[in-house]
Amino acid sequence: MVLSEKEKINELCKILLEVGALLMETGANTFRIRVTVMRIASAFGYHAELLITHRALMLTINNEESDQFFSRLMQTSAHRVNFKIVSGLSRMSWHIIEEKWDLEMVRHEIDRLKSVPHYPRIVTLLMVALAGASFCRIFGGEAIEMLIAFVATFVGLFVRQEVTKREFNPYLCIFLAAFVSAMISGAAVNLHISSNPEYAFATSVLYLIPGIPLINSLLDLLDGNIINGVVRGLNGLIIAFSIALGLLGAILIYNI
Amino acid sequence: MEWIVFFETWIWLGFAACGFAILFNVPPRTLWVIFIMGALGGTVKLICLKLGVNIILSSLMGALLIGFLSIRGAHLRHSPPFVFAIPAVIPMVPGAFTYRMMLGIIHLTGENDHAVFLQLLQETVDNGLKAFFVLSALSLGVSAPMLLSRNKSIKETKPNKFLNKLFDSKKASD
Repeated sequence: MVLSEKEKINELCKILLEVGALLMETGANTFRIRVTVMRIASAFGYHAELLITHRALMLTINNEESDQFFSRLMQTSAHRVNFKIVSGLSRMSWHIIEEKWDLEMVRHEIDRLKSVPHYPRIVTLLMVALAGASFCRIFGGEAIEMLIAFVATFVGLFVRQEVTKREFNPYLCIFLAAFVSAMISGAAVNLHISSNPEYAFATSVLYLIPGIPLINSLLDLLDGNIINGVVRGLNGLIIAFSIALGLLGAILIYNI
Repeated sequence: MEWIVFFETWIWLGFAACGFAILFNVPPRTLWVIFIMGALGGTVKLICLKLGVNIILSSLMGALLIGFLSIRGAHLRHSPPFVFAIPAVIPMVPGAFTYRMMLGIIHLTGENDHAVFLQLLQETVDNGLKAFFVLSALSLGVSAPMLLSRNKSIKETKPNKFLNKLFDSKKASD
């Protein structure tokens, strides 16, 4: 298929914006988005300028020979961390430079990356629950507390996945997950099952901590992307606040 | 006896890092690297704490190690460095401080006695500040290699000779 110059610019613009939006949704920092998009644009012989925000991306590309400009905007959809896509897109940008991929191959690769499956659900649940138990151990819990943390994390994450599937407000999802986890581990505190049930109570909600928003926030701030850094930081704080609210619910009910 | 405890903590740190790695859906080829990085970083932090360094500096040390190892991992496994670095530093996130700060704030809202309020406020601010600075130290440590190299991308930097020597055995086993 031979594309005319205009069609080619149009298609390139769409691809660049899709790459940028995917990176933003899956948890890359602003610097990485800018570098990846500009790298792909320069491989096709264009110069790209980007405006990156949390909810939308704006792109202008121009060809210095013909002095033509082309602009486009694209909104990002719901943010969901997925490092397979980040890693795959970064790899793709190198393939484009080194192996001179054309636009059609790039389009195929993006579609392929989008359909790469997650880990099986049961694996995710078990491993994250194991991580919760590990946290409990690191903080000083014994076998019984680890088991409580394991169960609380497992059920909490299950609830979060179910609620996210039904497209509730993301902060509400986190509140519900934290509440369920805290109710399970709080029952252990209330019934005095073991010697130090507080360890299990404190670590049962750790799988919800907004590690990526907070670390990305500081990376962006250090890099000079102040607005993005502030937005991500605030997002992280609201998530932390939702977790605190979930805990508060359990604390009030059990009167810990 | 102490070594057994040490090794046990090592394994739990690795599992915590791996659990988050799977939650973030990293490529399977990077999983064992994340396990080792998370365990090593956490161990450095624990050793520093044992030597009497304060928690903020200890976390910075652990995160710095992870930051530099992640560059190596990026060359080895062809993924951007932060794919390794973020899951690996998660076990060091100050969960206990944040939890106590939240609990403190919750109790503060319901407290009427002046003296108790001041006592609670002091503890809450103390925990909150520690949590904030540990978190900043973690992200500073993770991004240190990128800040130092000032390069467009990690893949364009040549791996350091010293690091190459250090990791030669690892590469051979690949």
